[in-house]
Amino acid sequence: MERKEFLKRGFLSALGTSFILPMVSACSSDTVDPESTTETTTGTTTGTTTGSCTTTASETAGPFPTKTPSSLVMTDITSDRSGTKLTVKITIQNKNNSCAALANAIVDIWHCDAGGNYSEYGGTGMQSTDFTSVHFLRGRQTTDANGLVTFTSIYPGWYSGRAPHIHVHIYNISGTSLLVTQIAFDQTINNTVYAQGVYKSHGLQDTTNSSDNVFGDGVGTELASFTGSVADGYNLAHTIVVNG
Amino acid sequence: MKRLIQLCYRKIIDASSEKAWDKYVFDDTWMEFFMQAQTYTQDGKYHTFQEISDKIPAAGNMTYMVSTAAINYIRQLNDIVPDIANVYGKLCLPFKRFKFEIIHSDIRDKSAHKVAIYFYSEPITWIDKLDGKLLVAYGDQREAFKSGQEVETELIPLQPYLNISSVISGIPAEFREIDYPLPTSENNPS
Repeated sequence: MERKEFLKRGFLSALGTSFILPMVSACSSDTVDPESTTETTTGTTTGTTTGSCTTTASETAGPFPTKTPSSLVMTDITSDRSGTKLTVKITIQNKNNSCAALANAIVDIWHCDAGGNYSEYGGTGMQSTDFTSVHFLRGRQTTDANGLVTFTSIYPGWYSGRAPHIHVHIYNISGTSLLVTQIAFDQTINNTVYAQGVYKSHGLQDTTNSSDNVFGDGVGTELASFTGSVADGYNLAHTIVVNG
Repeated sequence: MKRLIQLCYRKIIDASSEKAWDKYVFDDTWMEFFMQAQTYTQDGKYHTFQEISDKIPAAGNMTYMVSTAAINYIRQLNDIVPDIANVYGKLCLPFKRFKFEIIHSDIRDKSAHKVAIYFYSEPITWIDKLDGKLLVAYGDQREAFKSGQEVETELIPLQPYLNISSVISGIPAEFREIDYPLPTSENNPS
């Protein structure tokens, strides 16, 4: 068989699912430090070595690695989820600099899909190099000179006990956490969106902002402003002030 | 009997790693750990990956979140396992699947950061072991051997952290050797 053909065919088809399960545990044993297992014998007059060390292979320098961002860095975080289009524009201001726009802040957002589910994480399990939709509705952008980041997503759904929301974690350029917060939604628009499309079967949210255990103390700094419609999609605009 | 095997290479990356690719993975996974861990370390109670994993159930996705910093580097490998070379000194082992592991990490000390990536090879037919090296052919070649076809092979030295992680030693019934009696008088005592 040509190697190319073999590569295309993949492991699952060749071995079958029943083979996979024991294999996962077989390769997941506890950590063993290299120092404690690699024996290197040195000092012989002939320069030969024994034990488990191996001559380093000579190899061309390529393929040349290049600096590349986390797979979280995405503008369109929709992935394979469907729903009413939502453009999220978040502006970050710095309270420690007269509320001026904070450039180069790292902004992570994540929210649930129309059915109220978050991304299923791989945990400590196996991942595949060609699997691309592992973290739907989660993304990262860095603020521009105006302190602005923009994401394309879908209108979040809801899950029992919480009012609809988007999680936001803001870091400075060095990765130091500045603020963990949530964005609240407009009740009237929620009622419109959840009455149609992929949201309809899940019905209206069971928790309002005022009865929510996170937003219940007031959403003055957390409620975003909205424009748009179900047909055209919505635009969310929100300003978050941090101590940058 | 030819066996179908899977090799697994556990590549360890820490502060002593020297190759450019390894350094990128080290730097970026450390930064991602530092960023993600702050969700759980704001009260200053916990600092290490072990403490956070043991004490905070919500941090169960930490390994996956940190792996997001490595996956685009892993894709740059073009599905060939790093470091594992054949006797020509060429990288040779195809993989599609991997597992990321945080061995140790501490938000206070980047130099203590240590991760591992398990690279699981695609299936390989194991033919023999020669002088500490595995003689293998890529893919499932058991049928080709049975039918006497010429099969391209590769010699891969055994080395630290390279494990045979699974074996299929059985052969599907339709390929099984049938022990035909020889057509001589020895087989026909009458």
